[in-house]
Amino acid sequence: MKFFSQSFLYDDPWPIVSLAFFLRYPNPYAAHVISCDVISRNQTSSGSLLTTRLILKRGAMPRWFPKGIVSRAESWVIEESEVDPHGMVVRCRTKNLDHVKVMQVEEAVEFRQTPEGKTLQHTEARIVSGFGWGLTKRIENHGLTRFKANLQRSREGVSLILSLLRQSRLQPITLGAPTSVLGTPSAGDFSNDTSQPKNGTWTKLRYWFQPPS
Amino acid sequence: MANSLSAECTPLKEKYDTCFNAWFEGYLEPAVAASSSERAAYSKQKADEFEAKCGKVWQQYRECIQRAVKEKGLDKLLQQAREENPLKEPPPPPVVQTFKKTS
Repeated sequence: MKFFSQSFLYDDPWPIVSLAFFLRYPNPYAAHVISCDVISRNQTSSGSLLTTRLILKRGAMPRWFPKGIVSRAESWVIEESEVDPHGMVVRCRTKNLDHVKVMQVEEAVEFRQTPEGKTLQHTEARIVSGFGWGLTKRIENHGLTRFKANLQRSREGVSLILSLLRQSRLQPITLGAPTSVLGTPSAGDFSNDTSQPKNGTWTKLRYWFQPPS
Repeated sequence: MANSLSAECTPLKEKYDTCFNAWFEGYLEPAVAASSSERAAYSKQKADEFEAKCGKVWQQYRECIQRAVKEKGLDKLLQQAREENPLKEPPPPPVVQTFKKTS
């Protein structure tokens, strides 16, 4: 078993980092994400939001891995998260659902507002292979190396979304995006705080990735 | 927004994501409310707001995705994963309030 933990400090406050984290798919650093679905979502009595997402990721087996054991290099990943807007904490756990004998990667990540108004991300991962055949250690080491590289890419993805959110909040002009093209309410309808010119950030951002055709 | 695992559900997922994300952006920034009764009121208000704006599309998307999950046999995979290695309950919220709940 390999264990890994790392902390990272974002200069931005918790609400925007958390938003970026949940908006992180798709981004150019996450081309391996094939699909992402919410399979359950509830608000608790204490006001937290619990979400379960099912994500399909494309992977690649290392060249030294025996052929014919893993028929497809895709993996279903379950992600369970809790968002507490009052305590300003996001907790999120993920693990793969298939190929678990070859390797199971469990990740726990937390985003917490610091007293300075920044956001501390703490990540922990546990990597276990039950493969045997003298390859267990090698698989776990490979998994750890990949996990570290992916964590770096994932952070670059969140940072990219973060900078787009920041820019779109600075520019209250719309980017020509009809807000109700899909028949859903515009983001502005949801503002609960009129002191901040952030209405519709998401709606605008959406069209940067998916220009209306 | 990433695709749905079922092409059939992708249009509903896009509608739902658009609606949810707009709601979520506001949800993340509650006006500073210190007491637990204010928090409870805030939660209720956000839940009602979500239901009013996104409830219908969420129900449609959820039905679609639940059907797709079954068709692809993923429900068994999910259940198996939970039995073999139950996902832990998320830890309780940090102790920031020590006063009693009023509701």
